[in-house]
Amino acid sequence: MSSTLELKKSKIQNMTRLKKFKFSSIIVGLILISYSVFSVVPMIWLIIAPSKNAEQLVNFAPMAFGSWDGYINAWNNLMTFEEGVLVTWIGNSLWYNALIVLISSLTALLGGYALASTDVPFKRSLLITTLIAMIIPSVALVLPLFIEVGAAGMFDTPWAVILPSSFYPFGVFLAYIHFSTSIPKDVYEAAKIDGAGEFTTFTKIAFPLSKGLLGMLAFFAFSAAWTNYFLPYVLLSSSSNYTLPVGLGLLFSSTPSLNPLNGAQSSVIGRPEIALAGLMVAIPILIVFLASSRLLVRGILAGAVKS
Amino acid sequence: MSKRMRINRSAIAGSVMVLPYLVLLLLFGIAPIVIAFVTSLQPSMVTPNGGFENYIYSVTEFRFWPAVINVLTFLGIYLPAMMIVVVGISLLLDNIKPKLNLPLRLSYIVPAALTGSLSVLIWYIMLEPSLSPYRDLLHGLGLTESGQIWRTGNLAFIFVMMAFFTGAGNWIVVQYGSLQSIPDDILEAAKIDGASQTQIAFRIKLPLISKYLVYMAVLVFAAGLQIFVEPQLISGSVFPGLAADWSLNQLSYTFAFASNNLSSAAALSILLLVFCAIAAVFVVFKTDFFEKPKKRLK
Repeated sequence: MSSTLELKKSKIQNMTRLKKFKFSSIIVGLILISYSVFSVVPMIWLIIAPSKNAEQLVNFAPMAFGSWDGYINAWNNLMTFEEGVLVTWIGNSLWYNALIVLISSLTALLGGYALASTDVPFKRSLLITTLIAMIIPSVALVLPLFIEVGAAGMFDTPWAVILPSSFYPFGVFLAYIHFSTSIPKDVYEAAKIDGAGEFTTFTKIAFPLSKGLLGMLAFFAFSAAWTNYFLPYVLLSSSSNYTLPVGLGLLFSSTPSLNPLNGAQSSVIGRPEIALAGLMVAIPILIVFLASSRLLVRGILAGAVKS
Repeated sequence: MSKRMRINRSAIAGSVMVLPYLVLLLLFGIAPIVIAFVTSLQPSMVTPNGGFENYIYSVTEFRFWPAVINVLTFLGIYLPAMMIVVVGISLLLDNIKPKLNLPLRLSYIVPAALTGSLSVLIWYIMLEPSLSPYRDLLHGLGLTESGQIWRTGNLAFIFVMMAFFTGAGNWIVVQYGSLQSIPDDILEAAKIDGASQTQIAFRIKLPLISKYLVYMAVLVFAAGLQIFVEPQLISGSVFPGLAADWSLNQLSYTFAFASNNLSSAAALSILLLVFCAIAAVFVVFKTDFFEKPKKRLK
């Protein structure tokens, strides 16, 4: 009975689909594909740019490839900037971010679980504070954080960036939604009736069911922290503590690469070098995006989206 | 085991679990606001009396109102552009099978990798007629020198492009996701009743995802209000002085680091925070966005 109904439904669907197919579909396709091209052109440009030298960037077609030696030259030239400080920036970005992702994901996972399925006191106030904190952009807190970090004597230390960046209300919200929607309450109840405490319930039942959530927490924590500019820019002052994005800013404000009036005219840091440094910022995040595509397909607002 | 004992144990376990997050919330969410507020009342070299003088100084400073106008102009273009394009593209995507549009969605989030200092670099290139991949288009429009593009009057549009480019993709994925959450039977019923795709889009889909749209609008507004990186880097390194003190956050930064007036800087950032907090409170209490979600699994 229900299968014939399904059949009817799909027939009607197919008919309407066929009718609408031709003209409107072509236009829809065109719009979607043009927007897609517009989205990827700058990234492709950035990937190709270091293969060309400064003259080729202007003389070749914008999307033409130079040579593989171009990358090596650009890298060698970059290494002359402050004795290869770029390597330090890459190292800094890697370890700051590893800690940020670790601390923020773990605290969010535990906090979200506690808010969703334990009798933690002040639950409602905590939840509302978290929601408000999640909506206020982190940029709004940078200057206040500068004052606080200065008073605490942490200015220009890695911790000035790592600890504030690990405060992750959005992650707590994601975890809260996950634990209150995708795991049925009965499962918790059953575990508790069987005598499991909150910690056992968490480690034996909730945690194993949360791999997707962990991936999502790590993904958002990483993509926010890796590209963050304002916070490290204000809270760090010596270039040996910089992260890659702040270093990139320093590169183009102290070399004539983008503005011929900046820095020493004899500097070898030109546009191909800047593009290569930019590529260093973009590639890890692009890889993470593509590797997490399964998460993104399921939609970002986990609780609101059916799987 | 009595029920009361179990509740107590649950409360203790919950408190232990929430503690690490609570410490971060207090130290880096609440403390900075308190400290900034206290600082905003202290005297400085420029405002020797302290107190609310700092606030008055901030809003009467000659650069304050121009910055307000800049940020409002920016928001006036940015917010509608984001809403229209994101909603439009998501609705169009929703007409295509999820598997087929996956490559499109992936390509849309690529620009999100190009934020902050990198977005300044990218848009410098895109708008530089000698380098740009859109070289021919720019030349066709009669733009052959970057000086024709990078002008004070164009800045709001340029910053909108930068912010739009990096932000739109993620929001398309979010709103596409919320469209996917609409139960199929509702859409089937509308189709059987003879509703056209356009009618379904505007009369059924949009109203059903309206709370996600409100949420997005508030987040986009709050983030736009705080614009800093783009004008700061443009005028700090690429075109010196072009967008100096262009936005409110830049002005606050100038107060703190160039004018040595941390108190007024704190006052200005408290003012900006208040606006964002009002927007946040509106979303939390005036929409049903954060009502306890219903169970997903039956």
